[in-house]
Amino acid sequence: MSTRAQAEQHIEVHKFYGGATVGVAFLALVVQAFLNKYGSWLGMLELPLLITIYFALSRRNPATGLALGASIGLLQDAVSHLPIGLYGIAKTLVGYVASSLGGRVDTEHPISRFFIVIVFYHFHEAVLTLLNRVLLARPATYFSWKLLVASAVNALIAVLIFPALDHLRKPS
Amino acid sequence: MLDFPTRRRPFTLLMVVVLFQVFLLAFQIKRERDVRLIRLWAAEILTPLQRAGTWTISTVRGGWRNYIDLRHTHAENERLRAELERLELRNRQLESRSAEADRLAVLLNFRDSHTEAPMLAAQVIGASADSVSRTIFINRGEHDRIRRNMAVVTPEGVVGKIVEVFPNSAQVLLINDKDSGVGALLPDTRTHGVVKGTGDPSLRLDYIVPDEKIRSGEMVVTSGDDRIYPKDFPVGTITEIKQANPFQMIAIKPSARLDRLEEVLVLLSQQEISVKHAPEAPAPGSPPETASPSGEAQPPSQQ
Repeated sequence: MSTRAQAEQHIEVHKFYGGATVGVAFLALVVQAFLNKYGSWLGMLELPLLITIYFALSRRNPATGLALGASIGLLQDAVSHLPIGLYGIAKTLVGYVASSLGGRVDTEHPISRFFIVIVFYHFHEAVLTLLNRVLLARPATYFSWKLLVASAVNALIAVLIFPALDHLRKPS
Repeated sequence: MLDFPTRRRPFTLLMVVVLFQVFLLAFQIKRERDVRLIRLWAAEILTPLQRAGTWTISTVRGGWRNYIDLRHTHAENERLRAELERLELRNRQLESRSAEADRLAVLLNFRDSHTEAPMLAAQVIGASADSVSRTIFINRGEHDRIRRNMAVVTPEGVVGKIVEVFPNSAQVLLINDKDSGVGALLPDTRTHGVVKGTGDPSLRLDYIVPDEKIRSGEMVVTSGDDRIYPKDFPVGTITEIKQANPFQMIAIKPSARLDRLEEVLVLLSQQEISVKHAPEAPAPGSPPETASPSGEAQPPSQQ
């Protein structure tokens, strides 16, 4: 057995109850649509992104992470007025990087979760800005105070909902 | 379900998935073609959940309001409190129904006072699932004769236009979306311009040269130039004017409450709508006026 394979055996991979990932992803998309409908400030929440980050960190399988990110992102694009692929690419990259990172850093402690989500939120927005500018030739500003607040708010929400999602894990 | 057997080469898979989506984007942008099938599937999957969610939220919200309102009611004794709560609960239900009836009565009165323009009432069942675009979903679709580019309004003003139509639902691009544009004019001077969305709650009026005398508080109405919105329909009110070259920077507050839409009207043709003040809603308890004989302005159903 190769050294890499041996090392991978020591990475704790969390398994979830059947349908949990798909169900939660759908729920996040539906709830996100309601948040955008019922309040403009609630629109700063990015529940589909939080769900992508959570499951990618937990599954720790880059292929699964990127597939989940791509599926959620494409669905998000499909029910928006944006060209399909914009959120798809951003979340694919988030899913891939998060799942690759899952085995290397502590993803269980609330403080580390807070900072991980902040980093991925900015990464996600940076990819969106880059795609808007380079591929779509649309003006897009990356940094704003709203972005800073939004990343902190999303990180706080993540700290609150991730423990609830932990209950969907199968006992190891 | 999502366990892939490609654990050995995830980076290759990443490249394939990202490149596929880049080509998908390029296909849409270069050929100006939409991938309708994907949007249709997504809408078919998500809109039933949104319909169910809307119904659940309105039910739970009603119950929650009743609960919150009643929770801190002081009681002198158990029997009186129980009686009071029962009556309050009943009262809240009646008030809620009355408020809904008032809203629908305004729509019906508006429809009745504009019989020249066929229109259809619809309920807002959801919004887009991203924070960038400003779109909503309504519970009317192809089966209700809804087509793309039909104007969507409320008695207060312009809301947006239909951009996607599905069998039982449709997507509306709100006028505050960045991709939105409405042909507009200032009624006093008949100066034409274009109202554009900013992605924020406010709008902006473009193409007004610095020589034009514009005043804050002035009403902006549709010009009808875009062949989507009927002429002389309220768009918004000017809130801020900044002199700039080559055009003034003019901010507008939309007439319609775009962040609190519950029922809207879809104009089935681009007939001109004469601007009239909608008659006041009937007093609670009195029956609302009836719909037109065509029955097109029926109250939007929950499902």
